[in-house]
Amino acid sequence: MAEEREILELREKLARAAQLLLFKHHIQPGAKAWELKRALGREYREILKLLDAELGKLGLMVKHVSEGEKGSESDRYFVTLRGHPKLTEARTFGWRIDDMAMLTVALSHILAKGGKAQLKEVERVLEEKFPRWRIEATIDRFIRRGYLSEDDEGLLYIGWRTRAEIDQRALLGLLLGKEVEKPSEMKSESGADTKGEETKG
Amino acid sequence: MKGEQQELMLRIIDLCESVKKRGLDPFDVEVREFFDRLRELLPKLQRQSELYLDIQAVLGLAEVVFQQEEWIKHKSSMLYLDPLLIMLKLHALSIRDLAEILVRAWHPIIDLECLSPTGIREAKEYWTNLPSLDERWRDLETTEIMTGEVARRELTRMGILSDEDFAVMLDKTWRELKDSVGDRGEMSYWDFISEKSFEDTVLKAWLVSFLVSYGYATLELRPLEEEIVLRPLSKPEKLEHVATFSIPISISREEWLRRRREHG
Repeated sequence: MAEEREILELREKLARAAQLLLFKHHIQPGAKAWELKRALGREYREILKLLDAELGKLGLMVKHVSEGEKGSESDRYFVTLRGHPKLTEARTFGWRIDDMAMLTVALSHILAKGGKAQLKEVERVLEEKFPRWRIEATIDRFIRRGYLSEDDEGLLYIGWRTRAEIDQRALLGLLLGKEVEKPSEMKSESGADTKGEETKG
Repeated sequence: MKGEQQELMLRIIDLCESVKKRGLDPFDVEVREFFDRLRELLPKLQRQSELYLDIQAVLGLAEVVFQQEEWIKHKSSMLYLDPLLIMLKLHALSIRDLAEILVRAWHPIIDLECLSPTGIREAKEYWTNLPSLDERWRDLETTEIMTGEVARRELTRMGILSDEDFAVMLDKTWRELKDSVGDRGEMSYWDFISEKSFEDTVLKAWLVSFLVSYGYATLELRPLEEEIVLRPLSKPEKLEHVATFSIPISISREEWLRRRREHG
């Protein structure tokens, strides 16, 4: 009887965790560690691991993005695709091929420069392949959506959404012609545990 | 010697700023050598401004050391790849290839928009208060007028066109200002714009604003004397090394009347 009650409680917590992560209730999607802790209790990480396993059946996963110190209360959790979409599918999400290419160039340049680069420098690199009138508007959109961030000195950084959605290591590896990791290897790296987390910077 | 000391400190500060802002390699900065030079300089510094520069230089070098640490962390991480190689790849790959790379490293966030009870309440209120289509699309009573020609004189009478070309008016005002100023080189703004009618005064003020914006004259505020001074320039100049800003000057009929009474 007690076991049944525990199972029921666990299922309720799983449902609550899924609601918190999937339904947008802030400007940014996902939920912060402190929100999950308040709603699910101290063992919220265990619940997220279970949720990750359940979501795995649907091709989704729980992604943990660290916001500074490891295990901070302001860390954020998201639900993302476990694999990656196809190029044709990505276009149905409202992305143009040009935009995707621009983001690759901007992110690779910033990563190659140690995590920050002058906006003007990134624009100059983009100008090799794209018309100037599109570059400014597109970079602005990337900043608004969280793929990039900019400080008041005109430096561009990797944004929160990039840390959540883009496997930066794979991006650079693919750029240099390396083989992309197989889905089974990615799964073991990108679960709700600390292996899949990326730190700010 | 003083100049050299100051120059060295300013050079250090500038170099450190370049590392921070332009992403220069922090290991290009000879931190130890600069600290040695600053140590030698310190006993010779006397003025507060020199000591302030020294502090800024030391802080800048400390920042460079921090950047060096970050640089090592980055280079030792798995994310470090030769920037030149990456640049070459970015240059060589096609737009489609670049897009494909992003997609293969991309795991988009899944989130769902949901409607809260407050949202439903607001929507209901909006719907209840929304006027019917008939009301919103009520026909406006209009009459069709055919296009025709209007003479330039008619447009002038209506105030749409001026008898004089704007450039000519501006030039005329500039010459008038230069004549009024004479050898003094400057004159009171209010004395210059003041005309017999309020409308002409406003027109003159409007033209003066263009003279100043286009570099035909400069405007100086003297807050202590509560005076605004106009200085015509002999030829239009673009003032590149001068801080420029907008100055709103209110011209009311009462102000114009008061000044006319005071100055005749």
